[in-house]
Amino acid sequence: MQLTDEEKRMLNGEFAPGVQKAVELLVKLGDSFDAEKLVPISYGHISYDLCPEDFWNLMTEGVPPTPHLVTTHPSSQPETFKAWGLPVADQWVEEHERKLKRFKQLGWLRTETCAEYLLCMQVANNSLFGARVDRMGVLVSLAAAVSGRCPLMGLLLQENRYASHLVELDDLDVTDWTLSHYHCLGYYIGDQIPGFKPVAVNGLPPNLSFDFVRALVISMPTSGAVTLGHIVGSTPEAPTLEAALGNRKPEQVIRVGKQEMSETWERLNVRDDDIVEHVSFGCPHATIDEIGRISALLEGKKLKTSLLIGASVSVEALARHQGYAAIIEKAGGHFLPVCPSIGNPFTRRDIAGHKQAKSAATNSARSAHYLATVSGVKVFFGTEEECIKAAITGRWKGEIPKWK
Amino acid sequence: MEIRAHTVSAGKAEGQALVYKGPFSFMGDLDSTTGKIPVPRHLLEGENLANKVFVFTTGKGSSGGDCIAWMAKENGNMPSAIICLESEPVLSGAVIITGIPTVDRPEKDIFELIQTGDYVKVDATAGIIEIVGK
Repeated sequence: MQLTDEEKRMLNGEFAPGVQKAVELLVKLGDSFDAEKLVPISYGHISYDLCPEDFWNLMTEGVPPTPHLVTTHPSSQPETFKAWGLPVADQWVEEHERKLKRFKQLGWLRTETCAEYLLCMQVANNSLFGARVDRMGVLVSLAAAVSGRCPLMGLLLQENRYASHLVELDDLDVTDWTLSHYHCLGYYIGDQIPGFKPVAVNGLPPNLSFDFVRALVISMPTSGAVTLGHIVGSTPEAPTLEAALGNRKPEQVIRVGKQEMSETWERLNVRDDDIVEHVSFGCPHATIDEIGRISALLEGKKLKTSLLIGASVSVEALARHQGYAAIIEKAGGHFLPVCPSIGNPFTRRDIAGHKQAKSAATNSARSAHYLATVSGVKVFFGTEEECIKAAITGRWKGEIPKWK
Repeated sequence: MEIRAHTVSAGKAEGQALVYKGPFSFMGDLDSTTGKIPVPRHLLEGENLANKVFVFTTGKGSSGGDCIAWMAKENGNMPSAIICLESEPVLSGAVIITGIPTVDRPEKDIFELIQTGDYVKVDATAGIIEIVGK
């Protein structure tokens, strides 16, 4: 790989030990993908809580505040978890505080944002905003944030951004579809696309709402490795099918019909009874529209289960200003800029201890997948309304949709 | 028998093969404290990956995969080597950071030639897979 003089000095340890280790890692990664060089990043997004502390210390050793913007993925909030009475949250407090202190010294911003920001949830940035970011792990993202560099590879290159795989909807009427339906479709698509291939989805109504497009693309890398999904008629690089495909023929056409949707919906449910102990929203982080709908459904109600809505710091603040947060909290729900799936404090035994919820309902395929696998709890997947009903009654009455 | 492949993460290792003809993510598909695959209804549910030569199709899933790999490595629960059809940057980053010898793009059909339980040597630096014993 060709390195600039400055990058060679980074690699020689002339800046900081952390910068040296970061560049070493990025060069090895770039070499394995035949990247010709490193390029500067304009923006980094990292997760300090997911990052094991010894790796965090290695990468940030001696590193001065960075000139480029860096924000953070939702972190754990052990002090709040403790206040909620989750017994094992204590063990995380010190590590969290140590990393957070270093994070702020670096001049990085504590946004606690999940899906819309660069480097971590790459698929949304590539697909919805046309930002250029390759698929990249949390630890590699930290290396990029520390050094301000990233290998020129994969989706940073225009020629790799055209869809090689095409999804066509077969006789599916999407008129009544909710967020959950788009989650389900995305989860099916991700499972069907081999490896790291851009995909185009054709046949949906044009100018689909932002929340629907986001639900669709975000579910793809849960069941697969899709990092760029063109939704024809809705996303910036797909005004037409031809533009999404770069005027080439797709390598493979995948058809999705009623049967595929039903099977996927069923597969997202992992349960043997109807008892719901927890309900999770905000995977990806809830938008203000979602929070408004949830608060309307919860007005004057009392919840039987615990309920967590994950949203970024800025959306949470807006929800408080709007009065939505007060309604949700009065009903007994919790509102916090954390990850409600992988880092859900109510379902994680290492945070909740003996108070761990053994079952959870969600309207997100991504959440269903990670609640079942990372927390190991029973999972109910259904619509927003079905989840709210479950939160109020503690019972699951959700059904597989009747596809039109 | 030898199969040539492309280097993802350098190094040499060997062990019993565990073959899965599907995609894999360290986040979700590996319990870093036990080395087992915890996924309900997964074909390899409950199988232990620790010290195996793990053969699968591609990487997938959350970008937190490299964090789980790091913790699994500290717990001694990483595969000894990885062979896959085509790596992707999250998987590649994870195996480079944890130093797990890994190759992809094998020149022959590994799912035809390698079965679970076969003894396999991987020289990832040279890009050579050697199937030693059935």
